[in-house]
Amino acid sequence: MKVLYKVFASLVIIMFVFALTPTIMVGQSASDPQIKVKIDFNRWHDVPELYADMKRLQQAWPRFLKLESIGKSHNGLDIMVMTINNPDTGPEMSKAGMYVEANIHGNEIQGGEICLYTIWYLMENYGRIDNITRLVDERVFYIVPTVNPDGRQYFMEGAGGGARSGHVPVDSDNDGLYDEDGPNDLNGNGVIEQIRKYVPGKGTHRISHIDKRIMEPVPFGETGDYIILGSEGIDDDGDGRVNEDGPGGYDPNRNWGTDWQPNYVQGGSMDYPFQLPEARAVNDFLMSHPNIAGAQSYHNSGGMILRGPGAEWQGAYPREDIQVYDELGKNGERILPFYRYIVIWSGLYTVHGGSIDWTDDGLGIITFSNELWSGGQYFTSPELKEQQKDPESPISSRVSSYFFDDYLEFGDKFMEWKEFDHPQYGKVEIGGSWRKTRGRVPPRFMNEELCHRNMAFTLYQADEMPMIKMGETEVEKVDGNVYKVLVDITNPKVAPTITVRAARNKVVKPDLLMLEGKNVEVISASWIDNKEVYKYRPSVTNLIDQQDLKRIIVRSGHYGKTTKTIQYLVKGSGEINITYDSVKGGKATTKVNLR
Amino acid sequence: MYNVLKFFHFRRFGVTSLTVFCTFLLFVSTVAAQDFSKYHTYDELTRVLRLIVNDHKNIAKLESIGKTLEGRDIWLVEIANPKDVPVEQRPALFIGANFEGDHLIGSEIALYIVDYLLKNYNSSSEVKEKIDNHVFYIVPRVNPDAAEMFFANVKIGRKTNTRPYDGDNDGRMDEDGPEDLNKDGCVTVMRARDTEGEYMINPGEPRLMKKADPKKGETGIYKLYREGIDNDKDGFINEDPPGGIDINRNFQHEYPYYNPDAGWHMISELESRAIIGWIIAHRNVAIILTFGESDNLITAPNSRGQLGPAKEIDLFKFADASNDGASEVGIFPTGRRVSGFRGPRSQPTQQQQPPSRGRPSRGPATTVDTTDIEYFSTISKKYVELTGIKNQPVVRKPQGAFFQYGYYQFGVPSFSTPGWGIPSLASDSLQGRQSQRGAGSLRPSGRGQTADIDSLLLKWMDSEGVDGFANWTKYNHPELGEVEIGGFKPYAVTNPPAEKIASLGASHAGFAVYLSTLFPQVKIAKTEVTNHSGGIFRIKAEVENTGFLPTALAHGVHSRSVKPTMVQLGIEPEAVISGNNKTSFFQALAGSGKRQKYEWLIKGKRGARIELKVVSQKGGSDKTTITLK
Repeated sequence: MKVLYKVFASLVIIMFVFALTPTIMVGQSASDPQIKVKIDFNRWHDVPELYADMKRLQQAWPRFLKLESIGKSHNGLDIMVMTINNPDTGPEMSKAGMYVEANIHGNEIQGGEICLYTIWYLMENYGRIDNITRLVDERVFYIVPTVNPDGRQYFMEGAGGGARSGHVPVDSDNDGLYDEDGPNDLNGNGVIEQIRKYVPGKGTHRISHIDKRIMEPVPFGETGDYIILGSEGIDDDGDGRVNEDGPGGYDPNRNWGTDWQPNYVQGGSMDYPFQLPEARAVNDFLMSHPNIAGAQSYHNSGGMILRGPGAEWQGAYPREDIQVYDELGKNGERILPFYRYIVIWSGLYTVHGGSIDWTDDGLGIITFSNELWSGGQYFTSPELKEQQKDPESPISSRVSSYFFDDYLEFGDKFMEWKEFDHPQYGKVEIGGSWRKTRGRVPPRFMNEELCHRNMAFTLYQADEMPMIKMGETEVEKVDGNVYKVLVDITNPKVAPTITVRAARNKVVKPDLLMLEGKNVEVISASWIDNKEVYKYRPSVTNLIDQQDLKRIIVRSGHYGKTTKTIQYLVKGSGEINITYDSVKGGKATTKVNLR
Repeated sequence: MYNVLKFFHFRRFGVTSLTVFCTFLLFVSTVAAQDFSKYHTYDELTRVLRLIVNDHKNIAKLESIGKTLEGRDIWLVEIANPKDVPVEQRPALFIGANFEGDHLIGSEIALYIVDYLLKNYNSSSEVKEKIDNHVFYIVPRVNPDAAEMFFANVKIGRKTNTRPYDGDNDGRMDEDGPEDLNKDGCVTVMRARDTEGEYMINPGEPRLMKKADPKKGETGIYKLYREGIDNDKDGFINEDPPGGIDINRNFQHEYPYYNPDAGWHMISELESRAIIGWIIAHRNVAIILTFGESDNLITAPNSRGQLGPAKEIDLFKFADASNDGASEVGIFPTGRRVSGFRGPRSQPTQQQQPPSRGRPSRGPATTVDTTDIEYFSTISKKYVELTGIKNQPVVRKPQGAFFQYGYYQFGVPSFSTPGWGIPSLASDSLQGRQSQRGAGSLRPSGRGQTADIDSLLLKWMDSEGVDGFANWTKYNHPELGEVEIGGFKPYAVTNPPAEKIASLGASHAGFAVYLSTLFPQVKIAKTEVTNHSGGIFRIKAEVENTGFLPTALAHGVHSRSVKPTMVQLGIEPEAVISGNNKTSFFQALAGSGKRQKYEWLIKGKRGARIELKVVSQKGGSDKTTITLK
C-alpha cells in the first residue's frame, strides 16, 4: 500500500514537472531562440531512435515535412525519406531538389546525425533566419538519414565488426553456407577485441614501455611474455576457421549503375547494379524525382569533399562541369576546416559503381560525398600540430590517441585487457581495442559542430542549384506586324540546368523554350550570349535550326551565373507568353506585348 | 581412351536422334500442339508448354520467372528427374531464346528441344541418363511482348520491349514511330530522290542500295528512311518509335552506356532482371546456350579470343542514318567561357594533379582466355558438324548480350547462335581456306564474306523462294513527295521460313544433348586409411573430374565467379594434426580423368566413421564414408 502511494506520488510529480516545462522554456526564449523539438546531437541514434525523432519533427511541422518509406532493407527495415517542401511556394516538382543521404556503409553513422540535424535546423529556424526561410521556400529537400538501416542497426547493437556491408547474405568463405560464422562478442562488452595469452618468457609480444596499452612484437633475439591469439570469436561452423563469414560481405557503395564492374574488377560489387534492395529503393526514388539537381552522400572518414569520377578510365569531366564543382568544392574547404576537396580516383582511391558516379553521370545531378571527420581535428591548433611532430611529446603521433582518451574522454574509448575463460584457449585476456565509436566517428562532444558545418556546406550547394528567372524584355517594331522580341533568361546560381556531362549522356530532359500567342508566327529565333556586347558590336547570330520555333529544345541547358538573351523575329500582334522550362532549374514565364 | 569414348558417344547419338526424329514425325499428325511448321504466338506457346510439361510431370516443371510490362509470363521449363541428387546441385544446361524480340526462330528451336527431351526420356537411354543425372533449364521466350509483334497485322520487326522511352531525348515519349504507308503489311524502307542524298542504286543488284563513293566519281541521289511520316514535325522521320529497351543490350558485359536501346542502366528491364535474378540463384548452371542475333558457334572465337565481325544490313543502316543527329538538336555551343566565375583557369584543376593514391585499374576481360579458347573451338566444330550450319546470317556485335555475361561474368562456357544460316556466295576454294584457318587464325574467320550481307540474303531468298523482300513501289509521301517503298521485310532477315523449324529443331536438340555430355563431374576416386597406432591415422584421398570440361574455366577462376571446389573431412577441426586442412579448396581441375590428391594426419578412434565430401559448383558433388581401422 505504501509502495503504491509512493508510485502515485512520483507520477504526480513527474506530470507536474512536464506541465511546468513550457513555462521554463518561455523564460529562456528571451536570451536564445526557443526550441520546439529537442534532439540530442551529442550521441548516436540507433535506427528506431532516428526514425522516432524524424517522426517527432514531422509531427511538429506537418505542413512542411513529409515522412515516408522508399523501400525496405534486406532485413525488412524501412528506408525513410523526409521531404521538406513549403507547399505555399509551389509543388515539389516545380523546384530544384537537394537530395541528402547518409550511411550507405553501415558503420558510417554520423552522416545520419547530420541529416537529422539538417531537418531540425531548417525547421527550427524557418521564419527566424531570413536565409533559411528563403532556402526552404525556394528549394525542396529530400533527406535519407540511413540508406543501410541493417548495417546501422548492426553497428549500434552489435560489436561493430563488419558493419560496413549490408545484410544481403553472401557466402564469403565458399562453403555453400551463408553468413554462418560471424564475430562473437565473447565477453559481451560490445567490442570485438584482441585475445592475448600470458606465457612468461616464451611469447612473441610484449607490453611497450612507451605506453602500457601498446602491444608490440619483440625485437629479434628477445622473448616476450605474451602471444596474440587473434580477434574475439569462435569457429561457429566447425570448419577450422574463425569469423570467416559474417553478415553480408560486400560493399553497398559499389552496386550502382555507372561504371559498375564485376567482382573481380571491383570487389564487393555484387552480381549486377541495383541488386541490393537498398540501392534499388534509392534509385527508384531518384529516378522518379528528376527535379533533383544536387546531391550529397555522407560517408566517413578522412575529412574530404569528394567528387567523381571514381575511376580514371571514366575520363575527366568537361571543363564547364569542373568549374562548377571547383567553385562549390573550394568554398566547401572554407566552410569545413580539415576537409580537402578532391577527386575520388586521384585523391582517394579508385571506385567503380559508386553511388555518386551514378547520380552525376547517370542522372545528371551535381554530387558531392563528404568523408566526415578527420583525425586532424583531435589537436587542432598549429602549436599542437607542431608538438605532435616531436616523438617525445605526450601527444606524439604514436600516443596522441591515448592522451586524448585519458584527458578528454576520461578513458571511455580504450578497452583495457581483462581476464577471460575462453572455450578453446582456456585462461586468456581480452581487450586492447578501441570502442567502435572512436576513430571514424568524432568524439560525441564534437559531433554538433560536425553536423552544423557539413549541413552548412550542403545548404550552400542547395542554394547554388540552378534557378531560371526571366529578365528584361524588349520589343522593337521592325515593319508592319513584324517585331523583334528580346528576352533575357538568367540563371543566377552556380550550377547549370543541365551539366555538360548529362547533356552528352542524354540523361536529363532537355530544357524547353516555348512561345505562346494567338495568331503569332515565329520567323526566326537566335541566341545572344551577351546583350550589352551585342548592342555595341552587333554580330550575325546563329539561326536556331529547329522546325518548331515555338518549342525550342535547349539540350545544353543554361549555364550557371549567366544571362542569355533569346531574340525572336515574330509576325503577329497581341500578347505573347515566353516560358523557359527546365526540369532541374524550374520554370519561368514572361509576357510581352507586340505593339 | 577419351577419344574412343567421344566417338562412341557421337555414334550412339546419331542413331538415337534419327530414330527419335522418325517417332516424332509419327506423333506430329496426331497431336496438334506439337506443330513445328509454324511460329507460335505467346498464347500458343504457353498452351504447348503446359501441355507437354503436364504430360511429363515426373520429369518436367513449368515456372514463371517473371512478368513483362504487358503482364506476360516469362516461362522456364526445368527438365530433370528429381530422384536422388537434389536438382539444384546437379550440373545444368541453361537454354535461353528470344532476347531480341524479332528473333523467333530461337524460341521455336528451344520449344523443340523441350519437346524432344521429354518425348525421348523413355525411348533413349542417353536422354534418360541426362535427365536422371543432370538438369536442363529452358526459357524459350525471354521477350514475349516484343515477340508478339511478329504476329501483328502490320509487321515492324521491333527488337525492343515495350517500355516507353524518349529515344531522341526531346522531352516527348515515343512520339514518332513508323507507319505502313503503302498498306502492304510491312514497314520497310523508303528511298527518295534528294540532291543531298548519299546513296545510289547498287549497279550489281538494282534492288539494293549502296553508298556513293565520290572518289570513284559516284554521285549519291537518294536519301533512305524507314517507312513512315514525321509525326512530331521535327524534321526527322521515325526517330522515336514506341518502346523500348533491347534486352540483349541490357546485360553487364560491354554494356553500351547511354545508348538509347540499352536502357537507363544495366539490368534495368523486367526481362533482364528476371533472367539475372534466376541465374545467380542457380549457380549449378555449367553451360549456357542462347539463340540470338550474335554468334560464337557457327564461327568460333579466333586464337586471340575475339569474335568475328558483325554483319548488318546496309539498307537498314542507311535508313537509320537519316536520324543521325536527331538527339543532337538543341546543343548550343556558346564558344566562350562561362562568365561570372573567377575568370580564365588560373589554377590547375583537380583532374590535372598527379594521382596521389589512385591505383591504375585493371579492366574486365574482353577476349576469351587463351586457356579456354580450345573448349570453344571444339564445341563450335561439333556445332557445325551436327547442324550443318556453316555461314552466319545477319549477326551483330554483342554489346550487353546475355551470352557474353555468361562467360565473362558468370564464368561458364556460354554460347550464342542465330540458330540458322544462309549459304555463302564465296567460292568453295575460299571456304576451304577459311575452314583451314579456322580457329587458329589471328583474323576472325569468315571475314571474307562480310562485304555484303544484303546481296547474300537476297540471293538466298531468290533461290529458296523466300518471301522476304518487297519490291520498290512508288508512293506519294506527304512530306517527301514521290518516293519508292521497298526492301527487306521485317523478320525475314532474322528468321528462316517456318518450314525449316522442324529440321533446325532436331539438329539443335542433338547439339543440346551433346552439350550435356560435357559437364564436369567430381568423384572421390580413391580413399586409403593407415593406422599409425596411438590413435593416429593417415587418410589419403583422390578427387577426380570424370567429365569433359574443367570444374572451372580459366576465366571462371580469374573472374572469381565459379567457386573453388571444396573438399571437407567430417571431423572436429582440432583432430587434424597435419597435412590438408579439414576444409580445403581447389580452384579448378581439368576434366577427362584429372585427379587431385589429399592427405590428412588425424587423431581418431578405431572404428570411427568419417564422412568425406567434395562439392563442386559446376561439377556436382560426391561423398563417401571412411572407417578408421
